[in-house]
Amino acid sequence: MGFFSVLGDMFRIFKHVFRQVFVRPFTSLYPFEDRYYPERTRGRHIHIREKCTACSQCVRACPVVAIRIDKEDKMYEKDAALYFDYSRCIFCGLCVEACRFDSLFHTPIVDLSEGERDDLLYGPDKIETLERDPLEWRGRRFR
Amino acid sequence: MKTDIVDDAIEIWFGPQHVSAHGWATKLTLVGDYIVECDPNAGYFHRSAEKVMEFRNFRQGALIMERLCMLEAFLAEYPYVTAVEKIAGLEVPERAKVMRTIMMEASRIHSLQFWWGQFAAELGLFTMLLWPWVDREFFLDAFEELSGSRHAVSYNTPGGVKYDFNEGVIAKLERAMDRIEDRLPKFKDMLLRGPTFRVRTQGIGQFTAEQGLKWGLSGPNIKACGVPMDLRKDDPDPSLAYDMCDWEVPTVHNEDHPGESDAYDRMVQRFLEVETSLGIIKQLLPQVPDGPIIDPKHRAKANRLPEGEAYGRVEGTRGVTTLWLKTQDKAQTPWRAKIRGPCFSSYYSLKHLVPSSKFADFIVIFGSLDPYPGWWDR
Repeated sequence: MGFFSVLGDMFRIFKHVFRQVFVRPFTSLYPFEDRYYPERTRGRHIHIREKCTACSQCVRACPVVAIRIDKEDKMYEKDAALYFDYSRCIFCGLCVEACRFDSLFHTPIVDLSEGERDDLLYGPDKIETLERDPLEWRGRRFR
Repeated sequence: MKTDIVDDAIEIWFGPQHVSAHGWATKLTLVGDYIVECDPNAGYFHRSAEKVMEFRNFRQGALIMERLCMLEAFLAEYPYVTAVEKIAGLEVPERAKVMRTIMMEASRIHSLQFWWGQFAAELGLFTMLLWPWVDREFFLDAFEELSGSRHAVSYNTPGGVKYDFNEGVIAKLERAMDRIEDRLPKFKDMLLRGPTFRVRTQGIGQFTAEQGLKWGLSGPNIKACGVPMDLRKDDPDPSLAYDMCDWEVPTVHNEDHPGESDAYDRMVQRFLEVETSLGIIKQLLPQVPDGPIIDPKHRAKANRLPEGEAYGRVEGTRGVTTLWLKTQDKAQTPWRAKIRGPCFSSYYSLKHLVPSSKFADFIVIFGSLDPYPGWWDR
């Protein structure tokens, strides 16, 4: 391996590196910039209580036992309250697939930061609406 | 004065805390800079997945399989799904077959891109860590557009697939493929022609085809020795569409040592694998037929299975991945599921490969076999 061949190899590598310098950054500043989430994104759920029939198929389908159902808690004629434990959920989509009454959906919202572990248990007040106060800690807001 | 060589020997543990040790540990006996004994230890990553499967029904089981190897999620969940289909007698629609094949090949490319970066980083080439991982993002975008998740896709299900192709998915897949086609010559230039890489890999971790077959290696590791052993060609699965396209099993024939492979040959082999997969996807994408994507009776048939046993297998990125499933009559869960991961044999072949090589080459030999701890510790 002579001097010139080594020099040639070095220049070949520098050529690639030099080109790469002018490529725009591929990353984005996450909390400040939002990235694109497709329509099918399996983020947090939303429970539409009017259509729910308390059949508990979502509870049966869940492989990690993240869903609890309370059939006593009724707002309409035959619905039930759902409790989602997001410290257990693996976002597999089997519960949404199991729901035949269009009552349970995934949403493209994946911001689930919480300060306490217990706050990850989404009760009926949190799972039926998309509005949620972001976590505030030391003067900063977390999504 | 004569000293015994054994007096100089020291034992060190490589892992489980080492950065390159992805949760595994190997005991090495060194004399000076040379390794004289290598003792691989499986078990640091054990999650008893086979036992967990016995308590999950036939739709939930595939989720556990894909979590064993997130990098090839489409491929990893397939053996379970096909075993369930065989016992339940489900018929996969033509459209689902082609879609499965396309996504499995895309998953293979994505997994190999991840491995390039990982292997190059282990050799100290950090540029090659970042570049393929950027291109990998394009495939992840396509997976996300298709299934809603980047890694844990949960796409294959007994009877077909869960999510249909739309314009966005196809556009993103084509974008990812154009990107990798554009960048492949650059990677080849950087790695295969790079003097640093050649010096570190040529002649390192060399074994013959007979040795490889004896150790139970499969996939790219054995194809790099020139053995065209590929399940996609040898035993075409009726629920996949590999027979709809024209392709050849890629093998490496090295003039310097025919019938043997070193770390360099295995790298070349994985470049060829990507080219083959790209060819298959390109041929299949225009051929996706119309029709349903799932067997209409999948809910009824996959709920409770009759008594029987089936063997599902697939040519994964790292080798042959199989699953043996046994069910009892009208049970909702399997009686036993036995996984055969491709990396157990490649991990334990280190016992024969590593001795007499230098300590610095250990990670090169290990990395060149494309190991994934999830496959040997289930």
